[in-house]
Amino acid sequence: MNSSERNDANPSSELEDNLEILRQTYFFSGLPLETLKVFAYLCTREKFKKDEYIFKQHEEDGRAFYIISGSAILERQDNDTSKKIRDCAEGEFLGGLTLLGEVRRLFSLKAAEDTICLVLEREKFTKAMEQFPNIMPLIFKAVAKNIDFWEERFLADRADMCGECMVNLGVSLI
Amino acid sequence: MEKADIPVVKRSLFSWVFPGNAKLQLSLLMVIAVMVFARVVPLEMQKRIVNEAINLRNIDLLLRYCGIYLASVVFFSILKYLTNIIQTIIAQRATGNMRKELYRHILTLPLNFFRNTQPGSVVNSLVGELAMPGNFVGMAVSAPVTNVLTLLAFAAYLFWLNPLLAAVSLSIYPVVAFLVPMLQKGVNRANRKRVDAARTLSSRIAESITGIHEIHGNGAYRIENNKFNRLVNRLEKIRVVWSLYRFAVKTSNGLFVSLGPFIVFILGGYLTIKGQLELGALVAFLSAQERLYDPWKELIEFYQVYQDGTVTYNRTMEFFDVEPDHVIEPHDRAPYDLEPSLDVKDMSFMTDSGIRLLDGISLSLNAGELLALVGFSGSGKSTLALCIGQLYKYTGGHVLIGDKEVSDLTKKDMVHNMGFVAQRPFIFEGTIEDNLLYSCLARADGTDGLPSLDDIIAVLHQTGIFVDVLRFGMNTILTHDQNKELVDVIIRVRENFQRDFGEELSDYVEFFDENQYLFYSSVAENLIFGAPNKDDFMDANLCNNQYFLDFLKQADLTRPLLSLGAELARQTVDILGNLPPDAIFFEQSPIGPDELDEFKLLVERLKRQKLHELSAANQKKLLELGMRFVPGTHKMVALPAILENLILEGRAMFRQKISNDSPEAIAFYDISQYIYSQTILNNIFFGKTTTLNPQAQEKINQSIIQLLIEEDLLETIIQIGMHYEVGTKGDRLSGGQQQKLAIARIFLKQPKLLIMDEATSALDNNSQTRIQKLLETRWRKKSTVISVAHRLDTIKNYDRVAVMKAGKILEIGTYDELMARKGMLYELVGKK
Repeated sequence: MNSSERNDANPSSELEDNLEILRQTYFFSGLPLETLKVFAYLCTREKFKKDEYIFKQHEEDGRAFYIISGSAILERQDNDTSKKIRDCAEGEFLGGLTLLGEVRRLFSLKAAEDTICLVLEREKFTKAMEQFPNIMPLIFKAVAKNIDFWEERFLADRADMCGECMVNLGVSLI
Repeated sequence: MEKADIPVVKRSLFSWVFPGNAKLQLSLLMVIAVMVFARVVPLEMQKRIVNEAINLRNIDLLLRYCGIYLASVVFFSILKYLTNIIQTIIAQRATGNMRKELYRHILTLPLNFFRNTQPGSVVNSLVGELAMPGNFVGMAVSAPVTNVLTLLAFAAYLFWLNPLLAAVSLSIYPVVAFLVPMLQKGVNRANRKRVDAARTLSSRIAESITGIHEIHGNGAYRIENNKFNRLVNRLEKIRVVWSLYRFAVKTSNGLFVSLGPFIVFILGGYLTIKGQLELGALVAFLSAQERLYDPWKELIEFYQVYQDGTVTYNRTMEFFDVEPDHVIEPHDRAPYDLEPSLDVKDMSFMTDSGIRLLDGISLSLNAGELLALVGFSGSGKSTLALCIGQLYKYTGGHVLIGDKEVSDLTKKDMVHNMGFVAQRPFIFEGTIEDNLLYSCLARADGTDGLPSLDDIIAVLHQTGIFVDVLRFGMNTILTHDQNKELVDVIIRVRENFQRDFGEELSDYVEFFDENQYLFYSSVAENLIFGAPNKDDFMDANLCNNQYFLDFLKQADLTRPLLSLGAELARQTVDILGNLPPDAIFFEQSPIGPDELDEFKLLVERLKRQKLHELSAANQKKLLELGMRFVPGTHKMVALPAILENLILEGRAMFRQKISNDSPEAIAFYDISQYIYSQTILNNIFFGKTTTLNPQAQEKINQSIIQLLIEEDLLETIIQIGMHYEVGTKGDRLSGGQQQKLAIARIFLKQPKLLIMDEATSALDNNSQTRIQKLLETRWRKKSTVISVAHRLDTIKNYDRVAVMKAGKILEIGTYDELMARKGMLYELVGKK
């Protein structure tokens, strides 16, 4: 951080910026402002240099990421060969499910350039949720809706390209 | 203790009165006997002063009787104070003993008991509810004896003075003794109603506050007011009746007691006029009559303490009147050394409500073999591990360890042979070392046979918590008088760090550069830019140091910092105001959990007052807060560039000023000097880390370990790190660290039977693999291992794998056998 990064006339705090980001993220956007402020406060920012891994396949890192600046590549390794899945750009939120339970990464995320992420750890998220038990249904609702939306969009856009994978569709039925 | 054989919950309240207190109670009785005598003497003196000294106009007699009167009154007061002291000692000792005994009992109760019991009710029972029974024990002998003896002594004296008058005036008391309890029943009845009505009222208030948005939305103020008013009116009526009864008790008691003097006046006056009673005797009679009231009142109060004490005591003891599942320790033998083979035959486990969680479990395991229990959540694998480990008492069948039935073994036998790592391990307040030695200390009954430092370090490595402990050690601030040689070595390590890693790690470190603002240091550190040699310049004292305050003013920093403090207070209170004092919430807060309430009040005040209108003390608090601000950590407020520049200029000004006025006060950051105000790590870096990124941390750790090994410092730092305080419930440790610590404490114990209930679920891959390898190599053959597995890729090399579903073992065998069979395990592995 240095003074050139800030708007000197009326600098906004990192917490305010974090809050703004969370409000635009499907996972958090339905939550009351008081709760959001706590999550915004518990988030940290991390810098990743080009080619550094943000998370790795098989790891259970328990962290959710929002790409504030830079970009990253989502990869999957099968039988020692690494395949690029897609690019993840600024503004993407990854790892909401890791906040809800222990999930091992099925993919790796590698910084494609110097990248800054907003990070929330499951441990902090869980501790905070204990204080706001009545907002848990809102989060479940958001996650369920998002999974459903994802599959609906997939079916509409790509179902005809699926071929043999067709039998494995239906993630929204879990 | 003679009562040790009777469980505390079966003891009567009276059983606490004499055991352990016999001598005190006896001395109390003796003091009381003398005290009662000292209470009657003044009455006799009154009579003699009137009849003899005044009547005969004898000054000598007057002085003598007054002297005796005074002496007995003073003596009585001293004795009264003495009885109070003894009574308090007995009461506190009884309360303390009740707490200790009950706590000892509670800790041994089955785990099941605590599923249905809130920790709060245990706390309340132990802390709050035993105070009243303890008070009763303190009074149990003294109060009835003192007051009954006093009453009897006064009555006897009255009879001695005039039997007729005594008989008539004392005849009131039986009436009172009959009437008061009757009225008291009315009080109790009304009191119960009052408690109920107050509870209804409370829940009504709670409901309307929770649903306030609905009330506003509908404008339903009138409806809610009506509901509320009805309840208030009802409560009001009940309280009036309750108060009337209470006053009736008080008034009737007072009335009847006041009737005593009336009878004495009318009958005694008549007798005195007729010459049948001396005037002095009448005075003494009146005086004795009045004094009857005090012991009478105290007796009634004692009766109430007795009632309340008995009810509270019985209710508390009944609540905990549950038998422990197992005997705690053997009385007549040393704990068994068991052969760690396992034989489970047709074992079942049923809950109190009749649900069968395990059914027909049979398996056997040779000593030194590894068994994995697998299955979906709820399949009963953890319950089976808990039953084998004697944490649950199985309700049917057999579990044999060696040739001994587990349900017949004492807890001590189990603890001597078994180590259990729970799914959610618990870490207790204290240091890392305290927690590491917890299991060994519990087994050892003393300090014999505790592991050596080498053993401890080996286990720290094995469990992967070594790096964490190293970091705690590195984050320690050394004092001037501590480890002088260490300091020199650290300076050397600093040089090596700069040479070997300075460039590579420069992205993760903010070096102490005189010309740069330090975003990961506080405002105070930025201004002073050195380590204070004088207490006045320590962080905690800066805002009391007039020299420093004058400097702030000169540097135009007072008001901006005050306003920064106010903004920090507002924002922090806004976010953390309603959160519990857990360490995790306060890591990024400039306000500590114990200061939060104070700052809440201050923030309230800031809504009504301008900064300059605040009291000097409050301004100081805000200034202190401003001085603590670390922009890299406290993200709720931004540091304006103008303030950054002011502080940087201030740093130069301060350096110049203090160098002229008191050059020895501060040791400025100097790359060749140790900085005593900073941690060991910051000293090595000559700066501070700026990242929490695990990969960066890993790089930093690796470089630091290499440097420490070069200087043979690793062990020293680990020893320092083991003194790290882990916080309440270990909340200053992460989940992974807690789990590693829990495994380490059991590994240190080297049990013959090791049970791990999903013990590595919160660990990173490397730690998990390392521990898995250890179990398969080092532990194999030496200990029998039962592992409830949460990952199926870890169980391939186990001697036996048992697959469970709905409380039953579906298949058991080696991993390869079961996979080849293409049964349940095959399916599970596929699904995972």
